Amino acid sequence: MRKSGSSSIGAGLRRRPSVTTEEDEAFARLGEARAVFGRSLHVRTIDTGSCAVCESEIRLLLAPHYDLHRLGLFFTPAPRHADLLMVTGPAVRAMDVALGKTYAAMPEPKVVIAVGACPLGGIYPEDELVHGRLEKVIPVDVFVPGCPPSPLALLQGLLVAVGRLREKVTGFSFSEDFGVLDPPGRIRKGPDR
Amino acid sequence: MSTTLLWTAAACWAAAAVVGLGASKRAFIFLAASESAAGGLAALVGGVLLALSGRPSPELSATGGANAGQLVGNLALRATPLSAAFIVLLGLVALAIGAFAPRYHGPGTGTAVYLCVYNLALLASLAVLVAADVTTFLVAWESMTLACALVVLRHRGRHGTATGALWFLALGEIGFGMVTVAFVIMATQCHSLDLATIAARAGHVPVTWRDSAFVLALVGFGFKAGLVPMHVWLPAAHPVAPADGSAFLSGLVVKLGVYGMALFGFQLLGRQPTWWGLLAMALGALSALVGILYAMMERDLKRFLAYSTVENVGVIVAALGAAMTFASNGQPQLGAFLLLVALYHVVNHGAYKTLLFLEVGVVEHGAGTRDLDHLGGLVHRMPASSVISFIGVLGIAALPPLNGFVSEWMVFQGLFQGFRLPGHVPGVLFVLAAATLGLTAGLAVMAFTRAFGVGFLAMPRSRQAAQATEKGQPLFGPGVLATACVALAIGAPAVLVALDHVVRGTIGVDLRPQLLAPDLVVIPAHTNFSGFSPTYLGVFIVAVAAVPVLLYFLARPRGAARRVPVWDGGMVHFHAGLQYTATTFANPVRVIFQRFYRPDVHIDRASEDPAGRSGPVHYRMHVLPLFENYFYRPVIRFFRRLGHVLGRVQSGDVNWYLFYILVVVVAAYFIAAR
Amino acid sequence: MALWFWRGLRKGVVTTRYPAVTDPWARGLPTPPVFDPKRLTVAIADQAVAACPSQALAREGTLLLLDLGACSACGRCLAVAGPAARPSGLFELAATSRGHLVKSIQIGGPAEGGI
Repeated sequence: MRKSGSSSIGAGLRRRPSVTTEEDEAFARLGEARAVFGRSLHVRTIDTGSCAVCESEIRLLLAPHYDLHRLGLFFTPAPRHADLLMVTGPAVRAMDVALGKTYAAMPEPKVVIAVGACPLGGIYPEDELVHGRLEKVIPVDVFVPGCPPSPLALLQGLLVAVGRLREKVTGFSFSEDFGVLDPPGRIRKGPDR
Repeated sequence: MSTTLLWTAAACWAAAAVVGLGASKRAFIFLAASESAAGGLAALVGGVLLALSGRPSPELSATGGANAGQLVGNLALRATPLSAAFIVLLGLVALAIGAFAPRYHGPGTGTAVYLCVYNLALLASLAVLVAADVTTFLVAWESMTLACALVVLRHRGRHGTATGALWFLALGEIGFGMVTVAFVIMATQCHSLDLATIAARAGHVPVTWRDSAFVLALVGFGFKAGLVPMHVWLPAAHPVAPADGSAFLSGLVVKLGVYGMALFGFQLLGRQPTWWGLLAMALGALSALVGILYAMMERDLKRFLAYSTVENVGVIVAALGAAMTFASNGQPQLGAFLLLVALYHVVNHGAYKTLLFLEVGVVEHGAGTRDLDHLGGLVHRMPASSVISFIGVLGIAALPPLNGFVSEWMVFQGLFQGFRLPGHVPGVLFVLAAATLGLTAGLAVMAFTRAFGVGFLAMPRSRQAAQATEKGQPLFGPGVLATACVALAIGAPAVLVALDHVVRGTIGVDLRPQLLAPDLVVIPAHTNFSGFSPTYLGVFIVAVAAVPVLLYFLARPRGAARRVPVWDGGMVHFHAGLQYTATTFANPVRVIFQRFYRPDVHIDRASEDPAGRSGPVHYRMHVLPLFENYFYRPVIRFFRRLGHVLGRVQSGDVNWYLFYILVVVVAAYFIAAR
Repeated sequence: MALWFWRGLRKGVVTTRYPAVTDPWARGLPTPPVFDPKRLTVAIADQAVAACPSQALAREGTLLLLDLGACSACGRCLAVAGPAARPSGLFELAATSRGHLVKSIQIGGPAEGGI
């Protein structure tokens, strides 16, 4: 992935040299989208069978504490007006037609965000009722883990999708030396990041 | 020149009536229809020339010789400027229907009789319009009524036809009776049968006689014109008549009632008290509102258009009444203006109503049904007819830039100037009338949006509508009327100049300086009130609409476009049953006005399961026919009972009959001996 | 009137300043675990894999694979792994590629002779 550098908005336009990998293709797609969208974006959410807690967190984004509108992001019910599709839920097979029609109705360029653990393959394994992974149904550009992802995590996901924040998760290894333990049995709380 | 043309028209129609009798062969249908159309053209041009001349044509009276004349007495014909406007309409309607008929009617004896009777009706209508004395008028009127009843009876085997024709005839005869009494009153008081002489001498007739003559004429002609509550024959007779028959009825025959009212209101009765005009205006405004309210609830396109005719006749009569009020209260300019507006609306309504009825005929033949809830999607299957119908719908809904908008605007501008009248009561009544007509106009837009939207747009709601076709259907006749609608709007200044000649010839007031400012602006009789230019409005609307189209073609992105289906909310299967129906579209109006409609609603469910799985649900809603139930049925029941009572006199017993003869002989002896 | 309005009048602007500054309460969010490779054994790893209800943990030889996308931060692996795992406190986990969310932890510390 890209080396750490400036976090300016035009950063997505910088191309990596020659070798085409899956990451490069995703990055190129997002870069093209970022060039077109500029600073303002309309988001369409769709629920493919979630428990609606992710929807609660998404709805909280419009509240004054998080205030999505100050970032130039707006919700719209019409996929024709939407640039970005936020999908929650484990891609229930019964929603295939609706999800396909919603995705097709959005004009290019468009960005898809998979929100929560469900569309990323967690909680519900693939069976005759669900696909489990959203990537099996429509192409996904940004993945936002969490169950549910807090509004701050959602904000980070949206800002990554529009190229205003850099992706951070590649820099974390989730493997570290804890050092000396506290008195036996007590787990020390992690530092702020 | 105009007289020659009118005689030509009459001759053409007489010939068409004869030729039409041979309509078992298709060629005869074509020939009869062409002659009818030619007669229409002649009447149209003759009427225009007559209107422009502004003078009545020379009188022609034929006192029949010993052979023929004694049967009908004098036959006196004179075409006045007032009749010129109606003759123009008659010509236009005859021309359009003549062009429509060959592709609509199939050969057969039914068509033969129909074509003969229809052309006789045209002839009789012309005779009504050019009648110069009372007898000619009444004979022509009655002939016209009878011919029209036979027109309605074209499909006499079908369900409902006999009832419709009976309503038409019965109410026509009641009206005829009242009109006869009104004419007789004036003729005896003025000691003459000649209409011009009556007009000259009307001032000497005592007021009570003139009042009764006016009320009888208003109600009597109102039966023919379709004023509420005399309108009930319209929704009964229009659906059962053939399409061009209904077009003729709504396009012309109801206007003959208006002609009669204008005749009495402006010519035959001399000076008038204020309450005549106010009564006519109130009745007109009420008819307009009731008409459009019932129209909104109709699923059958022909009944819908019939009620819409009631609405428009209400507007015309309201304008006439307002004109009479202004003329009798020291505002001759406004009186002349509103009379001009009423005549303009007569021609406009004739044009677009005839167009719409002809198009309903095309739809019925193409899609097999007239029921709005079984139509839909016709704009894809029948594009030319849809465009023509759309022009008619724009006109009748009074949307700019078409002719309906121009005449409605002028009606409102005339009514808004009611403040110029002395006294508070007329002023308040004018405001109420204007408000009622405003509500009517709004409801009319909604009603015609419903008719055109549900009937023509979106997806077809039945297999018949999905297979509709306009191949082999008439296009030229409705096309002529659509062109006329546009011409009457864009060329409104020219039309108003012609009508100004008519008004000047009728009541002697010249509107010219205060009707048309330079730059083609129409002003309502007072320069400091308002004004607009229909010509420039039409040009402006077309130009403004063209700008986005031009921008699109210049600036559209080149390159491949991705086509996806219309966004339907992501539904798995969107089908025609999910669309609005005509009933649901009009539901808000039904709920708001439910004290007026008093609808009878039945809901039948297959089961009581509340979770949406109850199976088919049947919804039936029937609007209460107020006037039939509370006005006419009691009268009919009363006469039935009277008939039963009187029927006992005809007992069949010879002894009773001999007793009656004895009683009559004795009574005659005593009367003669006095 | 909305409570936030009164709170705003008392405290001033209450909108978060994220992304410039993170909210302090974010410290308490449930987050995926971080593992200490030296304290991790194959037995503990297998117990954690069995405890996860969300298919987020898997063991491949001596690698413990943690799928951050599938993790629902339920904490069962934390209860089972004891001193080998603790909550990470990291919630800014958005990724542009699915592969970026799969982390591998070497069981028993770094392998001998380099990675």
